[in-house]
This record gives sequence, C-alpha cells and structure tokens, in this order.
Amino acid sequence: MSNRFDLYVARSSWLHRLDPRTKLAFVGVSFALLFLSSRLSLLAGYLVVVHLLLRAARIPSDRIRWLWRQMWPLTLLILLLWPIFYPTGQPTLLTLWRVRITLPSLLQGLANALRVNGLAFAVFVLLVSTDQARLVQGLVQLGIPFELGLTLAIALRYLPLLYSVYGTITDAQRARGWRAEQGSLPERLRAHVPTLVALIIAALRLSDTLTLALAARGFRPGHPRTTHRPRRLRRADLLCLAGLSLLLAIMVGLRLGFCAFSCPKMGKLIK
Amino acid sequence: MAEPAIELYRCSYRYNPDIPALREVSCTIPTGTWVALIGQNGSGKTTLAKMCNGLLRPDEGRVRILGQDIAGQPVSQIAHSVGYLFQNPDHQIFAPTVREELAFGLRNLGFLSAEIERRIEEALALFGLEPYADRPPAMLGYGLRRQVTVASLFALRPPILILDEPTTGLGWGAAQALLDRLAELHQEGHTILLITHDMRLVAERAEWVLVLHEGRLLTEGPPRQIFAQPKMLSRASLSPPPITRLAQRLRSFGMRGDSLTVEEFYREYRALTLKERACS
Amino acid sequence: MKPIVSIENLYYAYPPLKVGAEPIPVLKGVSLSLAQGECLALLGPTGAGKSTLCLTLNGIIPHLTGGTFRGEVRVAEHDTREMDPGELSQRVGLVFQDPKSQLFNMTVEDEVAFGPESLALPPGEIEARIDEALKTMGISDLRHRSPLELSGGQKQRVALAAILAMRPEVLVLDEPTASLDPAGKRSVLEAMRHLRERTQMAILWVTQDVDKVPLLADRVAVLGQGKILLNGKPAEVFGQAEKLRDLGLALPRMRQLAIYFNEREESGYTWLTVEEAACDLGEDTGG
Repeated sequence: MSNRFDLYVARSSWLHRLDPRTKLAFVGVSFALLFLSSRLSLLAGYLVVVHLLLRAARIPSDRIRWLWRQMWPLTLLILLLWPIFYPTGQPTLLTLWRVRITLPSLLQGLANALRVNGLAFAVFVLLVSTDQARLVQGLVQLGIPFELGLTLAIALRYLPLLYSVYGTITDAQRARGWRAEQGSLPERLRAHVPTLVALIIAALRLSDTLTLALAARGFRPGHPRTTHRPRRLRRADLLCLAGLSLLLAIMVGLRLGFCAFSCPKMGKLIK
Repeated sequence: MAEPAIELYRCSYRYNPDIPALREVSCTIPTGTWVALIGQNGSGKTTLAKMCNGLLRPDEGRVRILGQDIAGQPVSQIAHSVGYLFQNPDHQIFAPTVREELAFGLRNLGFLSAEIERRIEEALALFGLEPYADRPPAMLGYGLRRQVTVASLFALRPPILILDEPTTGLGWGAAQALLDRLAELHQEGHTILLITHDMRLVAERAEWVLVLHEGRLLTEGPPRQIFAQPKMLSRASLSPPPITRLAQRLRSFGMRGDSLTVEEFYREYRALTLKERACS
Repeated sequence: MKPIVSIENLYYAYPPLKVGAEPIPVLKGVSLSLAQGECLALLGPTGAGKSTLCLTLNGIIPHLTGGTFRGEVRVAEHDTREMDPGELSQRVGLVFQDPKSQLFNMTVEDEVAFGPESLALPPGEIEARIDEALKTMGISDLRHRSPLELSGGQKQRVALAAILAMRPEVLVLDEPTASLDPAGKRSVLEAMRHLRERTQMAILWVTQDVDKVPLLADRVAVLGQGKILLNGKPAEVFGQAEKLRDLGLALPRMRQLAIYFNEREESGYTWLTVEEAACDLGEDTGG
C-alpha cells in the first residue's frame, strides 16, 4: 500500500471499471437496506454478498482481513454491551446479580454488530475499488462544485506528503537534541512547538507554491472547464443502477407495508 | 591513535519488508576525515547517514561513534557527538527569531546560558547573520534560511558533522563560503560527512569518498582513485567532474586521467607536452 | 526577428507584509527580450529576483500577487497587465524547481490533462495533446502511473509535459534540475534538448549549472541587484570572469581552465565545454 490514507487497490476488475456514481449508489442502497432491516439472515447475507463481490473484484484477502481486524474491537463491544444494557423480551437465558441476559437482546446485539460491519464493508467496496481522483470526479459529476472537488482531491493527495514531512521535521529536531518531554498535556504540547510550528510553516509554503502551480496550469476558480474523458454511464452501470433501484423499491415498499395485505409473508421476510 | 569517528559493521536496514534500503554496509571513517557520500537518490545515502546519529537503528549490524556502540543511546545523547543538517532548511526552522533558532540546539544539549550567548554571537558573525538576528527566520529568503540552519549546526560544534546536500539551491559564491567554513572546522579536527550530488565539490574538498548503489557500498577510496574509474561510477549513474573527464579524454595523449583540479591538470598536461617537445 | 517576450524597464516590489511598511523592490529596471526559438539561460545569485522575474512572464505577477509594478512586460506584443490571465497561462508555460508541489493529480495522465481542461478544450483535442506531450518528454510509458511513485527526473518531465500540453509559445523553467540527482538532471536536460530540436518554443531557463549552460543556451543573461548586468552569447558573458566572480557566480569549469592556461602562456583559449577543450589540447599534444 502506497500510503495509509488510501484504501485503493489497483486492479482491473469489473468492479473497478464501474462508474464511481454507480458505486456511490451501491453505498446508498446498502445503507438503506442495512438500516431498514433487522433480520439476521438478511444482514449476514449482505456481508456474504459483499465478500463475494470483493472476491470477484480480486481484492487481496489481506486487505479484507485488515478491515475485519479494524472492526473487531467495535464488534466485540456491541456483542457484549448490547445484551447487558437492553435486556428486552423473553426468554431469559442468564441472570447474574442484577444483569439479565435475554435471547432477543442477544440476537439484537448480533444484528447490530452485523449491521455496523455491513456499513463498513459497503464503504470499503467503494474505496477499495475507486481511486481518489475518480471518486472526486464522481462527486463533481453528482453536482458538488469542481473547486470543492479539487480541494478535496488535493487534500487527499498531500496528506501523506505532510505526514512524511512531519516525520522528517521530528527527525531534524531530534537530531538537534530535542525530546518530546513527558509530563502534563500542556507541557507536552509546548514541547511539540518546534515540530508543529515547522510543520505549519512547511504546509504554508507548500500551499503557496501549489497556488502558483495551479495558476501556471491555467486554473481559475469559476471558469468553465472540460474533462478529457467525460465519464458516461456504460451499460454495466445502467444495469447495476437498475438492479439497485429495484432492490431499493422493494425494500422501501416492504418496509412501509404496501405489500402487507397482498403478501403478509413478504412483509415478515424483511422485518 | 584516536578512535575512528564512525564505524559501521555490516549494517542493514529495511523501511519495508520487500525493499532493503541498506545491505550489509561496513566502513570506518577515521576522526578528522572529510568524507563525501555519493550515489543516486534512493541509493541509501540518507539511510546510512541517519544510522550514524541513531535516527535509524540497523536491523542487523553495529554502529560505533567515537569508539562507542550507540545501540542503547537515545538520539538526544548522540547529538552531543554528531550534528546533522537536514537537506531542506524548512524542515527545522520554527523559532520566532534567528537568535532563538540558534539557541534551540544549544539549550537541548544543556549548555550554560553564558556559553549559549557566546556561541550564538560567534555563529551569527561567522555567517554574516547579525543584521537578521532578531528577524523571523521563516520570512528570510532561501539562501539566508540555509545559512541560519548551517549556523545553528556550527553553534553546536559537534566532533562529527553530517550535512545532507547543504549547497543545493545556493549560488556558487554562497556555496564556496559555506564550504570554507566547513574547511575551517575540518582543520580543527572535526569529522565531516557530506552527502552531495556535486562531483566538482567532491573532487575539490573531500579526502575520502563512499559510493552507494542500491543500498550497497559499491566502492570507497580517495576522490582521485574513485573518479579515475568512470565505468564503475556510471554503474551508480554518476560521472566524474569536467576536469577529470577532460583528462580522461586526453588519455591517448598520455594524461593519467585522474586530475581533480585546474592546477593539477595544467601541471600534468604541461609536463607532458614539454617532454614531447624535448623528444621531437 | 521580432521578440516574443520583451521586458522594458521593469520595476516590481511585493506588497509589504505590514500595512504601511515601505515595499522592498526586487526588480529595479529589468530590460530583457526573448526571440522565438531562442533559449536564454538566466543566471544570478540567490535572492537576485530570478523567480520573481519568471512569475512576471505569465502574469502571476501582478495579477495574482498585487504589489507595485512599473514598466512593462509584453508577450506576443500584448501588455501582460492588460491580458487575461487564462490566455497568458496558455502562452507562457512555467515549470518550477520542486516537482512535488506542482504535481497534484493522482495519475500522470490526469496531471497532463489538467492544463488543457482548464483551457476548456474539447476531449478529443485534450487526448491528442496528452499523447503528444508525453511522447515529446519520452514518458508515454508512465501514463497511468501515480506521479508520487516516480523518480525526481521523471516527475520533472511530467511537470514539463503538463505545461507542454497547453502548447505555450514561451517556456519558463525555474531551476528545473536543481533538486535532482545526476541521473535525473541528465534526463531532464536530454528532454530539453529534444524539445529544442523539435519545436520553435522560446525558452527562458533559470539555472545555477553553468557547466551545462553552453550545451543548451543560445544566450546568457545575468540578473543581479534587480537588474540585468550582463547579456550576450555564452562566450561573451563567461568572458567577464571578474564580474561574475564579484556576483558570486561560477564560471564553467572549462572556462576556468582556459583562463588558467591563458594566464601562464600567451594562449587565447575560450573553452566552455569539455568537447572544445579536448579538441584544442588534443591537437596541441598530437601535432
């Protein structure tokens, strides 16, 4: 991985080739699905489907494991605390002093854990298969102003650089005998003046030259631009979007109970 | 016989498991030597230099500074023996005044305030910085910012000075002035390790040259010997300075091809032509 | 030939940092011109105002910076103060010393496309310009790479390509090789030579590398104390050894050697390159 601020894994899969707008729509529909339903089978099923997607896009499994590792503490916390704090329903499985654990609360904890992981993986699918430039391009096409998109892209681009500059500055000051002192928070903050001030100056200088570089490339805020590869939605995108819309319509429909009369079984399926 | 200033024994380092930055480098730099460290970007120059003041610790191998293994010593302690000037002045300048910037290192190393005062005045004078003493260093021009950082290193007067491309971005005159100051410290017995891309500087100033290539020490020796091997240098994407190149162009006329300075070239060339005239 | 750039008695001071403070002039009456197809090397000590002069050519000074501006800079016969900054950035391309602060896109392709996109060119035209610029700089194979992972020399050639894609008539290079290692320097100089052979672009080349100046430049100008102090063919300017030394500027190594010879014998050597010196000295011993 080139830097720690970017999840993107370069591959040439169908998932990578999808338009960022399609993938943003996927994230949106996923969120709707995950929030609208509490059925364990659906939530678990979602995670299975996402893993199949990632597999199909040839995302290396160590990246996927990485996300699980990141999510593990939160998952554990939800699994443990939910049943303890929301002991609803019957049957009671266990009573320890004043703590009562019930089966529904246990299942609800599990559902919430699955949901949180589902949300993380939905965003992961987008970020792992879309480089930041295309993501920003997608956002711009969805209507955010180009200047904002450019600012975002540049911030993402220079974050790793500033991070490494901060490392160099710390090294430079350590070489001059500087130590990050132990002690109270104000003391430690004051000890970091030599590195933080130098970082701010370096960042200002960078933004200064960046302004010049942008001007040299003819960039003027508010002026019309073109893009060398206008991204039109391709057939695969349109198919995906159609599928996602259908899914969303069914979800919302079932949830609102429009089908409750005609097909009560379907209604149960989603709740 | 004094202890060597720097001893590296089979030092290796990796920033990342797949890419070795330094591979089993061993070298000994006697105290009081002016050493030039040359090689492409990414050849391991900075890695090697950072190992000498503990900013990086070798994955394998040992580093001894002035005879002492520095494995257990914190960087702030090694800083008493090794001064290190980073390539970009903007990676260290932070103080509200030039004077404060110079005082920073001295305070960190625990000098007494009277001594700090004396050394600051001395360094300001040495680099012609008196007019700027109370100005914010970050607002000065590049050349002056460079001088401020060099002055802050000089104020510490460490036995070993490591400088990473100190002349980059300086004009010729300013660069020569800086090198003259370094030469004075060298005269006093300080050890100097200079990372540079300027072969002319290496030819004129260094006593010993380390050539790094892909993390290995490709070769080492006095500049005359190093620059007389253009083929070996080109392996490291380097080439001898113009005077040496000229001498090498004239090898078929009897030049040895290892001149380092204008004077040397002239002397050898004239001796050769006089001999030839005497023969004919 | 009519100059493409002409600077007449240019005075410039940045706006003072403190309100009401006296502005300190950087340029104090610079006059300089540049003809089509010409490569002019600009030398000068640190802080002489070389970068400032570069910024006046594409109108960043004074359009973006403000400050006190007197005299005039004309590009293709138009006063830069009256020109639209967008049009100016198209006519005068500017490449800076530090590659990392002028490459802000995620791929080389996007980097090169950015300028033409700012000019609102049609996509087909942009595509053609990307191809051309990458080819001229010999970096077509880097098209889909991230600028972050390239070597210094490659980065700087990407920066050059990004400017070339705007098809400027004048190229201003502000110490393009100063932060590169020897291999990187060679690759950028090679790209510059290629550019000179293929195009009629006028080039203003700010540099400290006097040994390389005679290999590429038609003319040399020296900026010092806010003025142009010397201006002429490389052989003429480097003939003023005393003046250059007083300004803290280097002489090409071969000119130093020539002077050393001339001082000791009645020779009149004027070498600037190893080639020239080898030619003279080789004949001398050989014959």
